Amino acid sequence: MGDQVLAPPQLLNVQINGVWHQFPKGTRVIEACEQAGSYVPRYCYHKKLSSPGNCRMCLIEMGMPKMGPDRKPEVGADGMPLINWMPRPQISCAQDVSEGMGVRTDSPLAQECRKGVMEFLLINHPLDCPICDQAGECRLQEFSVEYGNAASRFLENKVKKPKNIELGPRVTLDDERCILCSRCIRFCQEVAHDDVLGFVDRGSHSVLTAHPGKRLENNYSLNTVDICPVGALTSSDFRFQMRVWFLKETKSFCTSCATGCNTIIGTREDVIYRQTPRENDAVNSSWMCDYGRLNFGYLQSDTRLLQPEILAGDKLIPAEWNVAITHAVAQLKHFSAWEIAIIASGRMTNEELWLTSQLAKILGVDLIDIVPRTGPGDDILLSADRNPNTNGARLLGVTSVPGAKLREIKDDVVGGRVKALIALGENPIEIGLTVEQLKALPAFVVMNILSNDATEAATALLPSFGFAEKRGSMINGKGRLQRLNRAVRGPGQARDDWEILRDLIQAYSGRNGIYSIEDVFRQMSEAVPALAGLSLSKIGDLGVQVMESAK
Amino acid sequence: MDPTNTRISAELERKMDEAIRRYPPDRKRSAAMPLLYLWQEKFGFISDEGVRWIAAKLELQPINILELVTFYPMFRQAPAGKKHIRVCRTLSCAMAGSYRVMENACTAAGIVRHRDENGMRNPISVSADGKCSIEFVECLASCGTAPVCMVEDELIENVQPSAAAALLNPDPSIQNPQLSSPHPLEHRLIFKNIGRSDWTTDIDCYLRDGGYEQLKAAIKMSRAEIVNEVKTSGLRGRGGAGFPCGVKWSFIKADEKKPVYLICNADESEPGTFKDRYIIHEDPHQLLEGILISCFALNVKTAYIYIRGEFPEGAKILEHAIEEARAHNFLGQNMLGTGFDVEVYIHRGAGAYICGEETGLIESLEGKRAYPRIKPPYFPAVLGLYMCPTIVNNVETLCHVKHIIAMGGGPYARLGRPNNTGTRIVCVSGDVQRPGYFEIEVGAVTMGQLIYDMAGGPRSGRTVKAVIPGGSSAKVLRADERFKLKMKQPDGSIAEQEVSLFEIPMDFDSLAAAGSMAGSGGVIVLDDSRDMVWTLNNINEFYAHESCGQCTPCREGSLWMKKITDRMLLGGGVVQDPETLKTVADNIAGRTICAFGEACAWPTQSFVEKFKDEFASRSQKPVPPAMPPEYTPGELIDHERIATTALPRNPGWEETATAGTI
Repeated sequence: MGDQVLAPPQLLNVQINGVWHQFPKGTRVIEACEQAGSYVPRYCYHKKLSSPGNCRMCLIEMGMPKMGPDRKPEVGADGMPLINWMPRPQISCAQDVSEGMGVRTDSPLAQECRKGVMEFLLINHPLDCPICDQAGECRLQEFSVEYGNAASRFLENKVKKPKNIELGPRVTLDDERCILCSRCIRFCQEVAHDDVLGFVDRGSHSVLTAHPGKRLENNYSLNTVDICPVGALTSSDFRFQMRVWFLKETKSFCTSCATGCNTIIGTREDVIYRQTPRENDAVNSSWMCDYGRLNFGYLQSDTRLLQPEILAGDKLIPAEWNVAITHAVAQLKHFSAWEIAIIASGRMTNEELWLTSQLAKILGVDLIDIVPRTGPGDDILLSADRNPNTNGARLLGVTSVPGAKLREIKDDVVGGRVKALIALGENPIEIGLTVEQLKALPAFVVMNILSNDATEAATALLPSFGFAEKRGSMINGKGRLQRLNRAVRGPGQARDDWEILRDLIQAYSGRNGIYSIEDVFRQMSEAVPALAGLSLSKIGDLGVQVMESAK
Repeated sequence: MDPTNTRISAELERKMDEAIRRYPPDRKRSAAMPLLYLWQEKFGFISDEGVRWIAAKLELQPINILELVTFYPMFRQAPAGKKHIRVCRTLSCAMAGSYRVMENACTAAGIVRHRDENGMRNPISVSADGKCSIEFVECLASCGTAPVCMVEDELIENVQPSAAAALLNPDPSIQNPQLSSPHPLEHRLIFKNIGRSDWTTDIDCYLRDGGYEQLKAAIKMSRAEIVNEVKTSGLRGRGGAGFPCGVKWSFIKADEKKPVYLICNADESEPGTFKDRYIIHEDPHQLLEGILISCFALNVKTAYIYIRGEFPEGAKILEHAIEEARAHNFLGQNMLGTGFDVEVYIHRGAGAYICGEETGLIESLEGKRAYPRIKPPYFPAVLGLYMCPTIVNNVETLCHVKHIIAMGGGPYARLGRPNNTGTRIVCVSGDVQRPGYFEIEVGAVTMGQLIYDMAGGPRSGRTVKAVIPGGSSAKVLRADERFKLKMKQPDGSIAEQEVSLFEIPMDFDSLAAAGSMAGSGGVIVLDDSRDMVWTLNNINEFYAHESCGQCTPCREGSLWMKKITDRMLLGGGVVQDPETLKTVADNIAGRTICAFGEACAWPTQSFVEKFKDEFASRSQKPVPPAMPPEYTPGELIDHERIATTALPRNPGWEETATAGTI
């Protein structure tokens, strides 16, 4: 991604299970084996963390080129170096490949080593998988199937350790399940910069813990749950809510700030159970913050708007969608362009923002902006810009300086110059308007997902979808175009935002040839050079860089 | 800094600041153990307040300190009695009756020893009146005068179980045993002065005897010359692995830009070994001179002596020796006018055997749990202390450096045998009449001469059954075994020859060829009264207690082996036990981060292999059905809320046995 041209990496010849491969210098042996199709099981190794080499699961046989008397490698019949195999197994997680190295991941010795380690890990581990929340995504289970023994030779009492410990507000610890791999400790030290976890006691009685006076409560604490290979660390929010094998997994990204951490949304029957980070080195490495991760409960809130409503007399009454759209457009048609203002949102997708800009265009509205949303950021992932798509709003012309026009919109609503206000995904009370001032508006069209004081004042209320209920794209703070995928269906009569906007436009100015979200994207990409040649499917799972990285 | 209820006196804080200054300014964490000692000395134990206060003082998190307090057994989190007694329970002491010492001392003091809750930690039991407390500890490194105890900081040797009550009020008039004068078969270099009636530890005595002359000679040599002499001498490390010292030194680049550190490994903890204790206590300047020559040779400006916590007296003696040497400008700024600045500091361990492993020691010196590092990449000579090149040498090894300079590498190499040069101190303990230390020319004495002539042979009416030749981790050798060794013949040729245990020369290569090792030189003799399952169980308990717990095979395997031998001793042995023991050990050795894996596996491998009958006779019960579920149905329903109280020591198995499932 840098603009300097990198020299082609030096390629090294490495023999893996009898076949020679080439890997760039600096490749870890364990990664090289995986790339060559020979996955080496591991517990403590995590490619984003330092390698302590403590689990011993990745033991393999390793060899170096056999040196002749002239101190040059001896070459075999295939023209490749002969290998001098080391008598002792080596861990593959802590060394980089070197020229002429040989690796055997499946030799009898390597297999015996894994079997031994599996047995050791299980002797003191509770064998109560049916009631363990990790079951189904537990490395101990998985590797037991592949490398373990069915029967136990262990006739002794297991070591007893603390259970059901609240390490912090979001993470629960079961020390008996802990295999002491130290991933969580290293994560806290190396990524979260909050050295809060450690081991106390010694030997087989070693116990993972936090100091009683300091809790694991940093904003990245739940990543420890993701990387815990066993059921020791569990999410207090998710644990025992759903067996993981029932979860449908949808690739998406987090919309709680401008970083847009890539995620997997775990759902079952249109209920979201959890959000976990998905690796994307251009965005979030393998992590996400707790704030973003847990910020989905509102989609299942009791205050969701489920039914379009229109103002009849002094009361909002339920209406069919076509009635509500017609009603809204009819109201807007009463007013001249300078009498209308649009408050859009930095939480809207590009497609929605594009249609919003089209709506503004046909209405001739100039008073349009998004509501900036900021909070304290950090140097890890959390952005101070809490809108996920400020860059999209800029690129698509909905705003140039986010929030710059809000003052004018507010004053004009208060002063009575603006008579029709369109609020898309935002609550105008947050920009300083009162319910009374909103109620005084002759036309107040609201598209949102949750009810609030402002929705009560609407003249047309259009319930829409949340981030997990729709498709669409956003551009994160670093200019990366990313794609939302639908994980669950929206509730009640709520509709996809782009459809609502499309219908408003059509009702105002007639058919516009948009039948699918792909059509919206195509229209947008034809008009916006930065998006030229792209489509939703071309964005892919990892996104595409479309703007210069800000900052 | 956190507000604290305890008043930290200016004096204590001054001592702490002084301790912190012994480490580089950006490495304050190294002072964690010294600060914990200071706190414990002042307040009796490390309270949570102490943990927080020290953490704040060192700009660390409380967990960083809590990790240490719970790792090192000499730090306690609860008060001990006014008089604290440590009883050694490791092999030689246990053989000499230390379990009865414990029992009798408890009775005398009115201490009800509470059960060792998880079978690992040795919790302190305090008498009802708070006057006295007692705990079992692992090897105190005085196996030659077993059984031994420590009362507060004082070592009490040859504690007769019948006289254990005297521990409560040690009689100051009772002298510790006389230091032995040399046996005719000995060749004393290092121990030359030990036992001399006119010998004291002060520097004047040392100087009168030609002390520090070798340092003065060395500073006239070039660094490469010194390293070369050490290489030529063929000196092999005396700590256990026997790595050639000169080769180790030559890993340090002459033009190294980073600071180079020297660490003297004085963490003598291998059961059966008690040589360094006498060097430190009786001839500290010899060690210091060896260290200073080595510092000069390796361009080391800061050296640390990592001395085991159980040698408080030794630490004081060395501190004093350093001050004396400083007064003579043998260390400090511009040492002897050479322009070379060198400092030597004492760093006390706190009861963890694993600190004898050089990378574990380095971690400990950095103020962390003594978790050995993976090699590659963390070879000490490249990435050692503070990620700088570091040489770690044993006490005895560093003393030899002085003698190599005195004699010259070539003449030194003519002592002993090729590849096994010089002298070395062997320690004999266990079932012999005259246990003790003997400095011999390497290989010039056979096992038989050592045991029978020097150590007086077994007690009357007893015969030697087995010998552990190099500290308790060395593989046991049977007295009736025959070994095929390459031996020098009378005509000077080398030929393979079958020899008995007692004909094996005491050198590195011969003991390795016999399938064991010279290790740390700790020879433990077992006579025909010894139960080999009991003996292995004692060794297993040591290793289970001392495993640092970092890597899987050793952490889980060492305790498993101990639990198996526990059960066998209690009558619960099943026919599969010998095979299980062997394969568990096989699955540890060679697969761990450090050599502790071998250390804990070799005893089991060798005992089970060589004393098959004894193990078989204790393993006669049929194999039981699969283990019952560890949780009752009630507990399963009440998932995740199982009480954390530990089980009694051996409940399940014995209950199962009586229930007839075996």
